[in-house]
Amino acid sequence: MSNRTILSLVSLLMICALLLVNSQFQARRLFIELERSQLRQKELETEWSQLQLDQSMLAKHARVDTLARTSLGMSSPGAGKTQYLTAGAK
Amino acid sequence: MRAPSRKAAARGVAFAASPVLAVRLPAWRSRVALFLLFAAFVALAARAFWLQAVSTEFLQKKGASRYARTLDLPAVRGKILDRNGEVMATSLPVKAIWAVPDSVNASPEKLQKLAQLLDISSQELKKKLESDSNFVYLKRQVEIEAVDQVLALDIPGIHTKPEYKRFYPAGQVAAHVLGFTSVEDKGQEGMELAQQSTLGGITGSRRVIRDNLGRVVDDIALLREPQDGRDLTLSIDSKIQYIAFTHLQQAIEKNKAKAGGIVVIDVKTGEVLALANMPTYNPNSRVGLTGAQLRNRVFTDTYEPGSTLKPFTVALALEKGLVTPSTILDTPGKLTIGPSTIGDSHQHAASLSVSQIIQQSSNVGTVRMAQKLEPRQMWDMFSAVGFGQPPRVGFPGAVAGRMRPYKTWRPIEQATMSYGHGISVSLIQVARSYMIFARNGEMIPLSFQKVSQLPAPQRVISDKTAHQMRDMMELVVGPGGTAPLAQVRGYRVAGKTGTAHKLENGHYVNKYVASFVGLAPASNPRIIIAVMIDEPGAGKHFGGLVAAPLFSSVAASTLSSLNVPPDASVSNVIMPAEPIAESM
Repeated sequence: MSNRTILSLVSLLMICALLLVNSQFQARRLFIELERSQLRQKELETEWSQLQLDQSMLAKHARVDTLARTSLGMSSPGAGKTQYLTAGAK
Repeated sequence: MRAPSRKAAARGVAFAASPVLAVRLPAWRSRVALFLLFAAFVALAARAFWLQAVSTEFLQKKGASRYARTLDLPAVRGKILDRNGEVMATSLPVKAIWAVPDSVNASPEKLQKLAQLLDISSQELKKKLESDSNFVYLKRQVEIEAVDQVLALDIPGIHTKPEYKRFYPAGQVAAHVLGFTSVEDKGQEGMELAQQSTLGGITGSRRVIRDNLGRVVDDIALLREPQDGRDLTLSIDSKIQYIAFTHLQQAIEKNKAKAGGIVVIDVKTGEVLALANMPTYNPNSRVGLTGAQLRNRVFTDTYEPGSTLKPFTVALALEKGLVTPSTILDTPGKLTIGPSTIGDSHQHAASLSVSQIIQQSSNVGTVRMAQKLEPRQMWDMFSAVGFGQPPRVGFPGAVAGRMRPYKTWRPIEQATMSYGHGISVSLIQVARSYMIFARNGEMIPLSFQKVSQLPAPQRVISDKTAHQMRDMMELVVGPGGTAPLAQVRGYRVAGKTGTAHKLENGHYVNKYVASFVGLAPASNPRIIIAVMIDEPGAGKHFGGLVAAPLFSSVAASTLSSLNVPPDASVSNVIMPAEPIAESM
């Protein structure tokens, strides 16, 4: 085998080796990013649950009922005070 | 061996002439040396073989343990939603705070602060920290804000562990429907227990490689995919649940009753829209709970239903063509069957029509009809509407009630059973049984989950009988009936009162269960509401006086909440001066 072939093969090997190092590095970097995003996803899911809970807490019927009756002075209209509309009627 | 002369060496004696070479050694010495060298090589080879071939696995494991870790992948328990998607129960991450008692080293002030943050007494904390074990929970399910403050104290030996806590925004309003979970996130009561397999998640795990800073740098394998629990959509409407609960609470207070229950059923789908019990509890803080608070009476308490069962006897008599609503029957004040006497608790005419018997809840009249029936016919009827068998709704602790086989019925037993005595049922059974009147003679199963596909109905009585029964039960809430207080403005309602003595140790005592089961609107029923008040103690004990008003107020709010158009004018309510007292 000529010296030139050997030299070119060696340099090819070196290039491949460096590329491997690089891609491994990239893979790790991306993996860490993925991990971070998954963590963020979990956090956001938790936050969503928390907000849903808060919403339920604030909109719970016991609270709305008390607020409407006490601070807003409202009362539920009886059947006598309700105008019923029938779909299709003129 | 003779030592070579130093002098000789120093003098520079030629190598070949060295006297050392001249020494004659025994031949075995070189052999021994050779053997020892060889043996050393064999030992090395054996060792290499041992490491490479025999104990590889062990060594690789040891190696992997330096960089690989198995991480748990937590799964979240499913949410419980009401039929409109409102959250009724949800899990949020919290932390357990634990300690290694031996390595905790902090000033008394810091410990005082810690106890305060954890909401436990200093003595309790001290006791926990003096324990011999090297792992002790200081407090579980601590919310994140408090955890951050605890960690800010920077006490060595205090650690945290992530876990989940269940939150119930509706609190005591829906306590018995939802139930609750243990600190391990396992269902303990109610739907949480019944649907544990659906709601509960499965924790997953994965192998990862960590770098020297503890960051995860690579996945080796996903050992088990975590499975979050599935969300559960209930049939409950949280607004109607609130309406039912608050009215029940008020009724219990007003009547100074021991307990009570209410259930609202959607006639069209068989869905349970609301179910409440008193006394109740707050599922968010379950300290010092009593059995009475935990009991889901609607399902687990059986009682003698009394007059609420009369419509079934009458419906059966109508169905068999033995009577019509206008048939007049002799109704003496007292009726003697064998050694026993049956009577009514109010004065009425010596003969009543079948409609009037229901309207005025006459025991004697009902028995007259029962006497024309075979025990087996009555048993078939009661079984067809669900008495004597646990309701199949997938709810823990649902009881069957007691209904004896018809072959053992004596005439007096058949007579008392016709008006709801000598038979025991739960409130949910009674509520469901009224479906045959509300659904024009058909039964469908109940559901605690939102129904997407309607179940196939089963016919029990004819359409005509169901309509006739509804008309009769509308008279019950009219001016001449036992429950005018059950009337609802704008809607026609039909129902039946029940008042029964309680049985204690096999004897009837002067304690009562007042109940009312009704359907509305009577022209095209949409809901069935069954209410039960246990031991009313404020002087009144008749179903028409105690339970009927509760039905009326819940029905009014529920119907308007469901946007059911009124089927009567708003001035339909007519109150008599004195309603008729019920027979027991």
